[in-house]
Amino acid sequence: MVDAYLGAVYPGVLVATAVLFLAGAASLAFVRTHKALTWVVTGFYLVTVIEVVVIIGSLFSGAIPVVITVGYALAAVALLPLLGIARLGAPEAADGDPERPVLQPDQIARVDGAAAMIIGVAAAVVAWRLAEILAGAA
Amino acid sequence: MNPIARIALILAYSVLALAALGRSSYQISTKFSEAPLAYSISAVSAVIYLAIAVALWRGLHRVALAGSAIELAGVLTVGTLGYIESSWWPDETVWTGYGSAYGWVPLLLPILALWALLVDRSRRNQRRVAPAADAS
Repeated sequence: MVDAYLGAVYPGVLVATAVLFLAGAASLAFVRTHKALTWVVTGFYLVTVIEVVVIIGSLFSGAIPVVITVGYALAAVALLPLLGIARLGAPEAADGDPERPVLQPDQIARVDGAAAMIIGVAAAVVAWRLAEILAGAA
Repeated sequence: MNPIARIALILAYSVLALAALGRSSYQISTKFSEAPLAYSISAVSAVIYLAIAVALWRGLHRVALAGSAIELAGVLTVGTLGYIESSWWPDETVWTGYGSAYGWVPLLLPILALWALLVDRSRRNQRRVAPAADAS
């Protein structure tokens, strides 16, 4: 499982984060590409699920430091809801809070784009840290 | 405040809170005695990031302003002390080297947040004064 992560999953996650970053930049610059970003985000969810499953499998295959590995795996999952943060600003998401930011459709596309860029970088760092931990323990 | 800037700040603070929370939880649970000051500061920074993110979301401008100011003071103080009193820091905190381990985001973010919050406060004050001036 460690070899699978280092050889296939880690490079795949890095590619996925790069695609997420570029799709976010495109959505920020060209609002019309927002639909494509939503597909990329769905794909990124799947990539993260595969990453976490392989990481959990790696825990059983040697002297992997459990606490920090599980911590980073949780961080990889915890980043995902932030990809949809613009939804909280959608007009129909009204919750009676007068201070809630309300976004127009073009603003939602731009916030989603900025979120995808930030999460892309953060997810790449998490994947890199996991690779360092697994490589160190292998 | 511009809603895009506001949500981008909330997002950035949420990611930083997550990073600082994970780092400090691990350090405090596994090796707190090695560097209690450094690990406690990392935990405090995580709480501050979380408080600012929530304050920005709930529109608690004063809390967000105070939190950002404390955060900036913390980054500058810890960053400077890291260079002039390095013996105090057996291990790094989130704010060590002015947040260099996090791409200096811990230094840049409170500056951006303070700027955005102060501009927003100034605009709200102007809006409050304008109707009063019109009425008189």
